[in-house]
Amino acid sequence: MSRYVIGRIGQAALVLWAAFTISFVLLQALPGDAILIKFLNPELGLGPEQIAEIRASYAADSPLPVQYFHTVANFLTGHFGYSIHAGVPVGELILANLPPTLWLATLGLLLSVVLAVTLAALSALSPLGWLRYFIQSIPSFFISTPVFWLGILLIQVFSFQLKLIPVINPGPWEALILPVLTLAVPISAPLAQILMRNIDHVLTEPFVAVARAKGASHRWVLWKHVAKNAFLPTLTIGGILFGELLAGAVVTEAVFGLNGLGGLTQRSVNDQDIAVLQAIVVFSAAAFVLINLTVDLLYPVFDPRLRVRQGAVA
Amino acid sequence: MFIIRRFRKRAGLAFLLGATLLAGTSGWGAAQAAGADDRSKPVQGGTLIYLEQQAHTNLYPPAGGFYPNGGILNQITDKLTYQNPKTLEIEPWIAESWTVNADATEYTFKIRKGVTFSDGTPLDAAAVAKNYDTFGRGNRELKLPISEVINNYDRSEVIDPHTVKFYFKKPSPGFLQGTSVIGSGLVSLKTLALPYEALGDATKIIGSGPFVVARETLGRELTLKARPDYNWGPAKLKHQGRAYLDEIRYIVTPEDSVRIGALLAGQADIIRQIQAYDEKQVEDEGYLIYAPSTRGVNNSVVFRPDNPLVADVRVRRALLHATNTDEIVSTLFSTNYPKATSIIAKTALGYVDLSSKLAYDIEKAKRLLDEAGWKPGMNGWRQKDGRMLELSAYESLPQPQNKETLQLIAQQWEKIGVKLNVLTADSGSAAVNNLDPAKAPVSPAMVGRADPDVIKSQYYPTNRNVLLQKGGNSDKVQAFADERLNTLLDQLASEPDRVKRLAIAGEVQNYVIDQAYAIPVFEEPQAFAAAPYVKDVSFEAVGRPSFYSTWLAPRR
Repeated sequence: MSRYVIGRIGQAALVLWAAFTISFVLLQALPGDAILIKFLNPELGLGPEQIAEIRASYAADSPLPVQYFHTVANFLTGHFGYSIHAGVPVGELILANLPPTLWLATLGLLLSVVLAVTLAALSALSPLGWLRYFIQSIPSFFISTPVFWLGILLIQVFSFQLKLIPVINPGPWEALILPVLTLAVPISAPLAQILMRNIDHVLTEPFVAVARAKGASHRWVLWKHVAKNAFLPTLTIGGILFGELLAGAVVTEAVFGLNGLGGLTQRSVNDQDIAVLQAIVVFSAAAFVLINLTVDLLYPVFDPRLRVRQGAVA
Repeated sequence: MFIIRRFRKRAGLAFLLGATLLAGTSGWGAAQAAGADDRSKPVQGGTLIYLEQQAHTNLYPPAGGFYPNGGILNQITDKLTYQNPKTLEIEPWIAESWTVNADATEYTFKIRKGVTFSDGTPLDAAAVAKNYDTFGRGNRELKLPISEVINNYDRSEVIDPHTVKFYFKKPSPGFLQGTSVIGSGLVSLKTLALPYEALGDATKIIGSGPFVVARETLGRELTLKARPDYNWGPAKLKHQGRAYLDEIRYIVTPEDSVRIGALLAGQADIIRQIQAYDEKQVEDEGYLIYAPSTRGVNNSVVFRPDNPLVADVRVRRALLHATNTDEIVSTLFSTNYPKATSIIAKTALGYVDLSSKLAYDIEKAKRLLDEAGWKPGMNGWRQKDGRMLELSAYESLPQPQNKETLQLIAQQWEKIGVKLNVLTADSGSAAVNNLDPAKAPVSPAMVGRADPDVIKSQYYPTNRNVLLQKGGNSDKVQAFADERLNTLLDQLASEPDRVKRLAIAGEVQNYVIDQAYAIPVFEEPQAFAAAPYVKDVSFEAVGRPSFYSTWLAPRR
């Protein structure tokens, strides 16, 4: 077991290093850089000599390998550098933007699970064929709803027309209701779809027929036999959906004017604020690796068959 | 008019009626007048909710040109002088009085007594000297760049605790106005001791202004609190003492429809940046549009004559006459965006009316292209020596509806057989390619400042260099340089005599249009929308809001 865990951690470190290096190379390959973008902004009106001076002070034109090792060394010692665009330390920026995104992502994921399970349960329990068909087509509708449009629609209806929730100056919980809903709808779609398909699939398995033959009710079979088996693949998708959450957060945060990593990423990409982007890439990769590791470790908890096999390995 | 306010017709009528009654019946009128007086008497207190489109960036005062930055700096810093936004005259503020020598190389300022920064340190001659030494010369160690509004700066001298003198290497007639702009906001020595990278944190910007930064959530929200002991506003303003508002909350709301919706739903009091097509919706609800002029170089497209396609003045002139600015303004914008009649705004200092040289004349345009040897080819596009007259321009994101404007210009040029590709790119590619005359022979451009120096800022090779002359910020330029233009710009920045200086400003405007280096399109305003109960919002000379005298009337 411990060898397994050490192996996984080694893998994680490798993934982190690769993410860092690839993003560094890609960001450097882009035309222009943050200093150019920021200081060529006509509203600043700096002369070429001043820009050259600023470039020199940031060592922006030193050879790439030097910059690379410099950045690696800084990251390893916990120095993420300064955001050229915002004029604050990167660590501060990440700290300010992380908690709201964590809240948004966690609640969004929870709500999407609730939505997905509700849809799957409704579809499995529905006695009518056409109703089943209707419920099963809802996820396709959800996933094709543009997040941007949904967000604006929710604001227009609930905030501006019905005046139920203010968008400007909301309370800490009020601030989360509409964004979480906006984020959860598209995320719930793949979850619901996979859950429904798995339920349908498991229902055709022989052991279900056996349970039925023993006189179990439809509900009992669903709850005791089918749900457990259908849940596993959904968990895998749940891990992968984290990436989607971050992507969804970009739009949600822009529409609702929220602080967060999504918006920060978008701004930094636009300004080629490399120090910030590197920190975000490494941070996201770490989160991704951590979540998928957790998912992997959770498998045996939910599925005794995996537990036995793992015991054999260790 | 400086501020264009258009009330609902009904409100205007009621006002008119009230005024007539006041004039007509004296006894009853007096009682009414007292009531009216109460209503127009500023109320102290309250929080102003201000929705901003973009988060502020670095708040080093010379970086205050960026509108989100200027909107904050203008409340928290004071300036040596105050430029009256109506008359453009320079009036006393932190400087009680000043003297300038005949050739504008020495400026002496008497500093008002008893002014303090919000950290308690005095704003005296030494502090002013340190501010200008930093803005005028930059600070290499702290990476603080030089301010673009200060030309030819040499050094400062503290004569006594309340007198400071500045010396210049060459005449610097624009300096007095330069002391009144946001980029010259005075900050505490503690702020000036910080490196450039630390100045994106608003709480580190310590000024002497009527408001102080209370707290900030980076990229999201900023709260200013009024300074109760503030007592040094511009001397000629009616309002003295502390600000009426208790608090201003800036909330970054990037989405246009959310800003406007929140304003109309009563969740916000004032918003920055409203597009021309949204104005009607806001006015129909009885809200106000403020569109102060930026009084600088008009929103224009400029040519990069280093590119052989636009090197011939006849080609540039043809394109100038093929551009129908009336159509652009009436199709895409509103009356708040007046059609340009020179390279600088009508309200800018030194403006001359050149509308006769800017007339839309498609026949003349075609004739000029024929003369220049560009003949319509088989496919309708103009050709010469087997080459097509095909130009490109990159969209400029900060300018209002810039992509739409360029696309409309492209349609207009198509009528004379010239192709204009309107390109959109990420900021990095756009910044790099826009420096290459081969890739961007045409470019959008604008800048705001209420001094003729602004023309130099825009065109001079070592400043913004919009024409991409050799010796400037681009290493892609082969040969283009216009010595006559540069000489004129040099004279403009160093002629101490005001009358002569304005004459040179006129000469530059004529020259740029005669050479058809630029096609001015419209006079760019900064558009704000506010609720009717937000009173006395004022704007400095180039359109940044000042909330010093603003107050909130009771909501109906």
